[in-house]
Amino acid sequence: MREALASALSESQAREVAVYLLGNVPGLPPIAQSLHILGIAVVMASIVMVDLKFLGLAVPSQNVSEMIRRLMPWTWWALLLNALTGLLFVVARPNRYFFNPVVGWKFSMLVPAVALAFVVYRLNKKDAGYWEQSSLRRVSARVIAAVSLVLWIGVVLAGRWIAYADYLFFYE
Amino acid sequence: MPFPEFWTWLEGLPLAEHIGFTWWFPFLESIHVLAIALVVGSILMVDLRLLGVAALGYAASRVTRELIPWTWGALSVAVVTGAGMFMTRAATYIEHPPFQIKMVLLLLAGVNMTLFQLRTFRNIEDWDTAAVTPVAARIAGATSLLLWAGVVLAGRWIGHTI
Repeated sequence: MREALASALSESQAREVAVYLLGNVPGLPPIAQSLHILGIAVVMASIVMVDLKFLGLAVPSQNVSEMIRRLMPWTWWALLLNALTGLLFVVARPNRYFFNPVVGWKFSMLVPAVALAFVVYRLNKKDAGYWEQSSLRRVSARVIAAVSLVLWIGVVLAGRWIAYADYLFFYE
Repeated sequence: MPFPEFWTWLEGLPLAEHIGFTWWFPFLESIHVLAIALVVGSILMVDLRLLGVAALGYAASRVTRELIPWTWGALSVAVVTGAGMFMTRAATYIEHPPFQIKMVLLLLAGVNMTLFQLRTFRNIEDWDTAAVTPVAARIAGATSLLLWAGVVLAGRWIGHTI
């Protein structure tokens, strides 16, 4: 399935477009990567701040339920921006990413991180103050926040290591 | 660039060679990106408050006071990891235009923040909880956002040109 998708993408017109854009628009590779990093900065300023607040480490005067409602829409927009800027590179060189083990690590952390963020956001949206209503929920929120924090740090570190995987693993 | 012997000496240090030839370089670089994301993320939250577009329910002084420690902490990590990468090829980086531009932008971001602290922040009681922030605060916030986006771009540019 992975092979089929990679080879379909390799032969697609989308690949030609991405390769053309990256090679011909002056400065596009560093610009797209900078937007990707700025998207990560927004993730830090939204879901990661909510995690730090749950853990009692940041912004003591702010209310966590209000923070989730105010900050997390920013998370979704940042993830969309990063999906688009990331896809540009994946589509241009599918084999480099599809068969890179570090990409596998990144996504096996990214998927649960996004799922946890969605749960935190969704339950608080339906029922404001959801995470503060009982001691069981408060403890659950802290556990989720700790896991989420570790996952996001892992996603960022793995993301940077994708480019170094060429030196670590030999694959074609 | 002044002090050519110094930059060459820095490159020749055993630590610099160790970073340059082992997994230390990518390790430092990945921590550098993580730290910068936190620097820019925390500054973004303060700047948007200064611009009057976010967190208006909280006093500007409060938002600033609670986030600035994260900025400084993350910035220290970024400086240490950045210095570690810099020393591996100090003489090359110091002459490299994208690196020089990044340092100038960082300096300007520092000047912008200092001017804001010394002037606009001093009479913050007058506008701390106001719905509309003063023009000086909005200019400081917008300038800061542009400069930090420039720092990120110049930093990424270094990676593509060296």
